[in-house]
Amino acid sequence: MKRKRRDSGLAALMLVPSGVILLLFVVYPLIKAVWLGQQRCGVTKCTNNGFDQYLDAFRSNEFQDALIVTAKYALITVPIGLVLGVALAVLADKYMRGVGIFRTIFSSTVATSVAVASVMWFFLLNPNVGVLSEWIGGIAKTPGLLQDPRSALWAVSASSIWANLGFTFIVVTAGLQGVPKDLYESAYVDGAGGFSRFTNVTLPMISPTLLFATVVLTTRAFQSFGEVDLLTEGGPLGKTTTLTYLAYGSGLPTSNDDGLRATVSVLLFAVLLALALVQFRGLEKRVHYGN
Amino acid sequence: MSRRVVVCMVVVGGVFAASCRSGQSLTNAGIDRAPTPVTASTVPGQTTVPPTTLPRKLDSLPPCDVAALDTAAATAPVEITFWHGLSNELGRELERLTGVYNASQNKVKVTLQFQGGYEETIDKYLQSNTDSRPDMVQMPEYMVQQMIDTKSIVPTQACAESAKYDTSAFLPQALGAYATEGVQWSMPFNMSVPVLYYLKPRFTAAGLDPEVSPRSLEELLATSKQLVSSGASAYSLALDSDFDGGGGWYIEQWLAKSGEFYADNENGRAAPATHVLYDGAGGVKLLTALQSMVTEGGAVYVGDNASGQDTFLKLADATKPAAMTIGTSAALGPVLAIVRGGIIPGVLESEVGVGPMPGPNDGKGALVGGASLYIVDGKGGAKAAASWDYMAFLESASSQSQWAAATGYIPVRNDALTLDPIKSLYVTDPRFKVAYDQLTSSLPGPTSQGPVIGPHKAVRRVTALAVAEVLSGGDVQTALTKAAQAANDLITNYNAQNK
Repeated sequence: MKRKRRDSGLAALMLVPSGVILLLFVVYPLIKAVWLGQQRCGVTKCTNNGFDQYLDAFRSNEFQDALIVTAKYALITVPIGLVLGVALAVLADKYMRGVGIFRTIFSSTVATSVAVASVMWFFLLNPNVGVLSEWIGGIAKTPGLLQDPRSALWAVSASSIWANLGFTFIVVTAGLQGVPKDLYESAYVDGAGGFSRFTNVTLPMISPTLLFATVVLTTRAFQSFGEVDLLTEGGPLGKTTTLTYLAYGSGLPTSNDDGLRATVSVLLFAVLLALALVQFRGLEKRVHYGN
Repeated sequence: MSRRVVVCMVVVGGVFAASCRSGQSLTNAGIDRAPTPVTASTVPGQTTVPPTTLPRKLDSLPPCDVAALDTAAATAPVEITFWHGLSNELGRELERLTGVYNASQNKVKVTLQFQGGYEETIDKYLQSNTDSRPDMVQMPEYMVQQMIDTKSIVPTQACAESAKYDTSAFLPQALGAYATEGVQWSMPFNMSVPVLYYLKPRFTAAGLDPEVSPRSLEELLATSKQLVSSGASAYSLALDSDFDGGGGWYIEQWLAKSGEFYADNENGRAAPATHVLYDGAGGVKLLTALQSMVTEGGAVYVGDNASGQDTFLKLADATKPAAMTIGTSAALGPVLAIVRGGIIPGVLESEVGVGPMPGPNDGKGALVGGASLYIVDGKGGAKAAASWDYMAFLESASSQSQWAAATGYIPVRNDALTLDPIKSLYVTDPRFKVAYDQLTSSLPGPTSQGPVIGPHKAVRRVTALAVAEVLSGGDVQTALTKAAQAANDLITNYNAQNK
């Protein structure tokens, strides 16, 4: 008992550096942001407005619109990205010659920065000189997928799905490699076909991986900024103004007001916190952790 | 409490919160007063000019004593830093000029710090305190009011008066763009205006004179109709609603061409602007004309042109191209270089035509775009004086001639045109002179100085939404009234926060 207490003193001492860093760079800025979020700011000074500013901001048209856009964006990018990532991972999870090449290709987007991916997609989607618009025609040509309010969010999502595919592929591939082969063999002996083996063996066994990928992809979707800034700047007609873009606020009501920027950022934090809670509480039970 | 209950609570809470959309703008969040509705006035010249018996505003601002440079430089050269947002060729030419300056004298040593672009410069400057700010900074034209409100600058007029600097050779439009309430806040450096770009072979194919570009909006419509009906071009004109283009900046230009104010208090120059005026008869007439370009004239609306390239690329469209577009004169160099690369089959670099931006008053006149140079206060008299010395070098006729020829910007002073290289460039390729001629043909009077508004960029952005709506077929008056209300809210709140 005595020794344990001495240990805990030492442990506390060793935790001090990380504790200080955490306080200085995470806790303090967070508290400061929450405080700043109830202020309205001019160029040189801020005035306190009371915490009802959070409620006002949350209920404002701009925030509600951005919340809906962000939710749509997540609902598009997460399921499609997940399905494609799993499909590619299952395809490449074979022992055959040359599969390494495919694994490299499929995971390559992980090494592509958002900026590079966005610029590439910008030219692919361009209605005048883009290859995709030539193939697709219709609104891809006039006014262009990034320019039409109906398709802009889908076009930005395409870029994002593509850029995140490498990450999903790697994570799911790792998950697949952890599935014991004897499970497949016994399922095979029991007469399960390919699809049945996938739904009854593979999916349950990689469900922790899928949960992890879902949470990460959702968070990424809610935090995505580069694609929006580079491809559409939040337009057309605000149809791609996500919460992060609203917080950045180039030319939006937030742009001349650090207080409002903080308000939106803290609200985004709260939304993400609630979402992560839902995801973990709700999906955890459906996840099979083995043994 | 079971997990399920927690989940349900969070979900229900979220849905409940999301369902209470207040119908209010984020602009008014936390503000406990109702936004004051302002009725737009269409009477030009409506102002609240302060009586002239008041002491000069300049006398209450930070002073500048240019003699401080000689005193300080007697011991060692004064080192100053200059933040700018010019990339690529523009940045390299600025580096070259600065190198010439540093080598030419031993009183001042300038260090350039490229910030990545205008946006980055603005963000970094506004977030910094006096110590981390540079001695001199470049800011785009829409930043005038915000720079004044930072209370962090030495007006260049103070230095000019101390140095008995002669400004008589400057274009009045160039200086006027950066002057409000009788104070010259900064010095113009890189100036550009929107011009009409068109492809001469398509004019010829339509039976139009390729050397004559349309000047008025009526001529633009007639030219457009002929381009399309003759089959020379699938579309006539590529239009956009970019807030730094067709959605914002051009609207300011068109109102100035018609001799109208964009905002009250003489475009915010006699006193800070309190509301916009573009929802009046002038704005409605203008946007109705623009709408008819699309509905009758075969113009194509390319969207909000976030990249700034969509209008130009429409000229290069392989299947359904346009023959004309409006773009900044600063793009002329790059556009010619890209056309030289063969992006538009059948069009040579020499066949790209440039004309004044068509509009009221036969397209004459323009508002200054681009950026200007500010001296930062609180750095000591010697640094301010050194910044002024460097600035005077950049503003000299010789520097402006070289700068304009290398970049395509408009020289800020007339006597630069008597010097090579710009003198011969304007003769060998008159396309580069179109912007200069357009700017110098502006109407006399205060409407030819563009609006100065605190949240200028945000106002342009809400205006751009109205333009997008109109170009997509929406009702003009409804769109403008809505945009003006949003713009007025932005201005009211900005003014309240920056009293």
